[in-house]
Amino acid sequence: MASVHESLYFNPMMTNGVVHANVFGIKDWVTPYKISVLALLYEMTASKITLPERRRLNKLILPLQQGPDLTLGQFLQTVEECCPQTAYAVKLRLHEMANGELKDMEYFFSTLPTPFTAFDSEAYKTSVVGLFMRHMLLAYNKLSFSQVYKLYKSLQHYYHSHYAKPNDGQMGLPALVADDSDMDLTSTEDTVGDRIGRDEMDTPLHASELRNDNAPSRGPLSQKQAEYFLARQAYLLKNDENKALKPAALQEELNNMLKFNPDFAEAHYLNYLNSMRVQDIFLSAHSLLHYFDRLILAGNEGKSNGDEGYGRSLRYAALNLASLHCRFGHYQQADLALQEAIRIAQESNDHVCLQHCLSWLYTLEQMKGSDSTVLTEDSVKMAAHFCLPYLASLGIQSLFQQGATQGKTAHKLMDALKDTDILHWKHSLSELIEISLAQTTSIWRMYGKSTMALQQAQLLLNMSSLEPVNFGVQQNNTEAFTVALCHLAELHAEQGLYFAVSEILQHLKEQFPPHSLHAKLWMLCDLKIQFERHMNEGKYHLAEPLVAAISALNRTEGLYRKAQVLKALNRSTEAYSILQRLQLHCEKTKCTEMVIRVMLATAELHWESSGFSTALPLLLQALALARQHHLQSLASETILHLAFSQLMLGVPEQALNVLHEALEPVLAHGAVIDKGRALLLTARCQMAVAGFRPNRQGQADLNLAVLAVDTLKEAAAYFSRLSCKERLRDVHYLQSQLHRSLGQISQCNKSAMLFRLLDQELQSPAPPVSMRL
Amino acid sequence: MAALCCEFGDLVQIKKQLITVISLCKERGLLHSGKWASELAFALDPLPKDELPPAAPFTEDDAQDLDALTLAKSYFDLKEYDRSAYFLKGCCSQKAYFLYMYSRYLSGEKKKDDETVDSLGPLEKGQVRNEALRELRVELSKKHNAGELDGFTLYLYGVVLRKLDLLKEAVEVFVEAIHALPLHWGAWLELSNLVTNIEMLKSLSLPDCWTKDFFMAHMYTELQMIKEALQKYQNLIEAGFSKSTYIISQIAVAYHNIRDIDQALALFNELRDQDPYRIDNMDTFSNLLYVKSMKPELSYLAHNLVEIDKYRVETCCVIGNYYSLRSQHEKAALYFQRALKLNPRCLGAWTLMGHEYMEMKNTSAAIQAYRHAIEVNKRDYRAWYGLGQTYEILKMPFYCLYYYRKAHQLRPNDSRMLVALGESYEKLSQQVEGKKCYWRAYSVGDVEKMALLKLAKLHEQLNESDDAAQCYMLYIQDIFYCGEQLEHLEVSTALRYLGQYYFKNKLYDEASLCAQRCCDYNDAREEGKALLRQISQVRDQIETPSADLFAPLSNNNTPVRRVSPLNLISFTP
Repeated sequence: MASVHESLYFNPMMTNGVVHANVFGIKDWVTPYKISVLALLYEMTASKITLPERRRLNKLILPLQQGPDLTLGQFLQTVEECCPQTAYAVKLRLHEMANGELKDMEYFFSTLPTPFTAFDSEAYKTSVVGLFMRHMLLAYNKLSFSQVYKLYKSLQHYYHSHYAKPNDGQMGLPALVADDSDMDLTSTEDTVGDRIGRDEMDTPLHASELRNDNAPSRGPLSQKQAEYFLARQAYLLKNDENKALKPAALQEELNNMLKFNPDFAEAHYLNYLNSMRVQDIFLSAHSLLHYFDRLILAGNEGKSNGDEGYGRSLRYAALNLASLHCRFGHYQQADLALQEAIRIAQESNDHVCLQHCLSWLYTLEQMKGSDSTVLTEDSVKMAAHFCLPYLASLGIQSLFQQGATQGKTAHKLMDALKDTDILHWKHSLSELIEISLAQTTSIWRMYGKSTMALQQAQLLLNMSSLEPVNFGVQQNNTEAFTVALCHLAELHAEQGLYFAVSEILQHLKEQFPPHSLHAKLWMLCDLKIQFERHMNEGKYHLAEPLVAAISALNRTEGLYRKAQVLKALNRSTEAYSILQRLQLHCEKTKCTEMVIRVMLATAELHWESSGFSTALPLLLQALALARQHHLQSLASETILHLAFSQLMLGVPEQALNVLHEALEPVLAHGAVIDKGRALLLTARCQMAVAGFRPNRQGQADLNLAVLAVDTLKEAAAYFSRLSCKERLRDVHYLQSQLHRSLGQISQCNKSAMLFRLLDQELQSPAPPVSMRL
Repeated sequence: MAALCCEFGDLVQIKKQLITVISLCKERGLLHSGKWASELAFALDPLPKDELPPAAPFTEDDAQDLDALTLAKSYFDLKEYDRSAYFLKGCCSQKAYFLYMYSRYLSGEKKKDDETVDSLGPLEKGQVRNEALRELRVELSKKHNAGELDGFTLYLYGVVLRKLDLLKEAVEVFVEAIHALPLHWGAWLELSNLVTNIEMLKSLSLPDCWTKDFFMAHMYTELQMIKEALQKYQNLIEAGFSKSTYIISQIAVAYHNIRDIDQALALFNELRDQDPYRIDNMDTFSNLLYVKSMKPELSYLAHNLVEIDKYRVETCCVIGNYYSLRSQHEKAALYFQRALKLNPRCLGAWTLMGHEYMEMKNTSAAIQAYRHAIEVNKRDYRAWYGLGQTYEILKMPFYCLYYYRKAHQLRPNDSRMLVALGESYEKLSQQVEGKKCYWRAYSVGDVEKMALLKLAKLHEQLNESDDAAQCYMLYIQDIFYCGEQLEHLEVSTALRYLGQYYFKNKLYDEASLCAQRCCDYNDAREEGKALLRQISQVRDQIETPSADLFAPLSNNNTPVRRVSPLNLISFTP
């Protein structure tokens, strides 16, 4: 199971999971867009509008007032959808102003209904509309003459630039324009004139300069627009990275914004997030520190050590620095920064910050590979004490994860998980619900219950997010989703459904591009699936190069796979030494799953030297471990190994008895290859019990032989699904023998022919059938 | 250098060139270049009447444009740029064309400055642009491609490109402008702002003219290669520019940069004698006076400058420094703010204001000021250092590491950053890194003489007594080498430790020497005496001649690096 702590960093733009960029006081400024809104409001109060249209328009008012500045085209289109007649009137009014003189704008402002006089209209001073109008009037009256003139200029620009790009997706407008031929004429004239001017100027220019004119988003951003941009990008980065701007483009936008307004601190924070995407430590550290330097200014009127004010941001600055180093794997640096954060937080009695620090502390300990159970428990207790449900259940999840790997009993774990789930739903912590589902998936898989795992993964993927759905995005690029999708891919691979696997992986690749944070998870999963596939098909030369790639992502896994390849290539000595090392390492890190697998692989190595009896103690030990940790799939795997050893030691009856214990879980939950192997082994045991010897026909128990034929047929079906040709060859060999002894000559011949074909195809000398499971 | 000397042999020629270029600059309203050239010309001997250079040849075009040009020039001088440009439209002489473009450029700049005052919103504030730039660029680039630009217009083209942030193109154009007219100092100066490192400087192909030497010297100062710069300036003085106030001020600034305070002070005093009404560079002078805590001199300077012109950035900085020295930090900050109002891009004022806020314990305002300074110039190491100090005051040693590292990166050979880094590491209990920093600080030449002491204490903490003794030794040597003017309290600590150390290692002669020296200091007197008593006791017990006892000891136990303590005698005060 992978770590689930990625979302645990303080995001100052976020409260309760909602991103707010608008953390500073807003000052109202009159912009051309606001004038358009005013014109709309004016038209609404002045003219007669039918009731449904008025209702639609009323619904529009609030978003228009509070939203970011729109272009004229967008604005008119929105209005027109509600009421074409008003849209036309608004447009006419703007046209009057833009093509007239300064006095037309002055006149417009003077004709606006004063909220103080209009008692019965919507523009009464306490209404939303009235408040907005008062704001605007005040702001307008405060402007100096040159500012008024500038406003007028920008209004003209706003109006005309709408016509300079008629093909910008405002389909409603040409029809509107066509009504008024006079207006049409002027506007085209403007367009043409504008264009010629531009072309003339742009031709000798450099590309860098050209960009400035062509991209419409380059224009000066208003404060609201900038905030909206930042909020949106931050939200997208958090929830669906692919929909956000590409790192380079976003960087450029931010640079642009910062060039115009270096005081816009939130842009630095977004810059930090963006640099984290591309793993750029220098830039991200720089931006983070810059952001907090700026933030400290913003809150400087507060007390230095209270809950508010810049003392608080200092603490979180240090904490964020710690998290930054943690992400880049600089554990020592992270430790130092964390200690600093803890010290400052302690000095100012900030328990919430301390809790954050504590949860980072145990995360850091975990990442360093040391045991942090005690710390985590403390953290959970304290978080519960201070009523921080998020941190508390995050801690529980972390404990759960540790407990699962260290062999806590299943019912305790499940209980804990259930309890936290209740907590999550109560506080609607959607992120944690996702993590908890992903954890359940992982733990079911670990316990070898593939159906349950499948069900949980599907549950997560089909759950509609609890996040308020903004910008048409569902939160689906968290680590939890990656983990669930990876499990899904592996589960499908186990069933031999490789087409589905490739589809899932394709989706993962799109959703989590290789540079992103969680990409390593699916990369490893992809490699593992490929490796297994090649190994099953006996293409060891193809599997070998994958080992290096796997080791790069996960050293332990890589070593194990290397041992497997070496074993398959009959380089037993090397394989053995690797396995020994691996076992020591895994026992130290308490990685039980791997220990058992290593033991099984070692046992297989013993078989190759016919040391069946030496393999037995190892296998028994592995069985004990697997049972202790409730690892059902590994337990049944071990039983298969055990049965095989017994078969080889000449006690097939015993082997058959043992096998029955494992057969059920394997057939219910196991991978296709395991099912095939289990059945093949059963058949061989049955044959042995029935008294078959390879070369001598004895007085076989025919009933058992018939049973064995059926079992083999089933095994063959499983193997052929995976195109596992070597094992198919074995099956056919055994089949032909059985048929011969049963006197079914035609079937015997058929099996023999199949065997012959496969043998020719494989070319490699068949290893003795008896020697492998 | 040889080439330089023979080139400078003909000072008369240089003087002639200067006189020509002065008149050219004046005609075009390039005031600063004219000023520079005039200052230099003034430093050379006057020419006899018949050797004065003839006025520039008067072409047909010039004659045609003469009236328009005269009219436009007078409007230009009165800062009525649009009017000037209007009357110059259509003139075809080079001179008129330059003035035409130049007044359009200046008009744009002036409007931009005016615009910033009344913008329509906080975000729009930074978006005010010089609207004329793009048009100018289009026109100039057309002419440039046709090869119709002379030295001055090339310079203007470069300026326009630089303002449009097209730095690479700007460098090329400036180089071209310099080739066309090597005597125009403005072009050199603009180029110097664009050169960021020595490799870039070396890669430029510059014309072989005597101005190049001035440029190189200027560049070396900018790039903090002070030794080379001083060498260059020395050569220039020897070549005959000894009277130039420009060179003297530059040398003084260079000395200031390497913190050779006395030299710099002497030069500035000389400069003020020669040019009493000078305001340029006086802020640097006041920094020096501040460092030396010369209150009366600083006060005199401040009064003097206020009398000359109180609305100059330099004056405000000097007054700020003056108040700061008198510990009136609020007033100091006020004056630095005034300086920034006069010129928002004045780097020094931002940093100094940050220092003032630090003194006032207003850390957030200090951070703001330093951040502004960094925005103006990312390479301002003092601002980075100041930020580090701020966070150190806020007790965030790990956090401030980043800032100190930045500062250290910019000034790799400045011991102050290294000591600060070392202290931060020490606070984080990273003794190994701390030791490295202190040792490096000592190796690059420690200004405050604290690195060795701190290093010694670190060794002491880590129980590395040999190394600690070694460091104390070096420290004491250092202190006595500088003479007694540096009154350090810590000398007694060092002596005390050394005494105990020698005593433990049974080097009684050395120990007693140290103990005796301890007695010179009040705070260590008692311990010194006690140690002396102990030594005499031990000596009484062992009555064997010391030579037999110590010969093997000193061979085995003492580290090789150790300096014999007897060296002390030579530094006895």
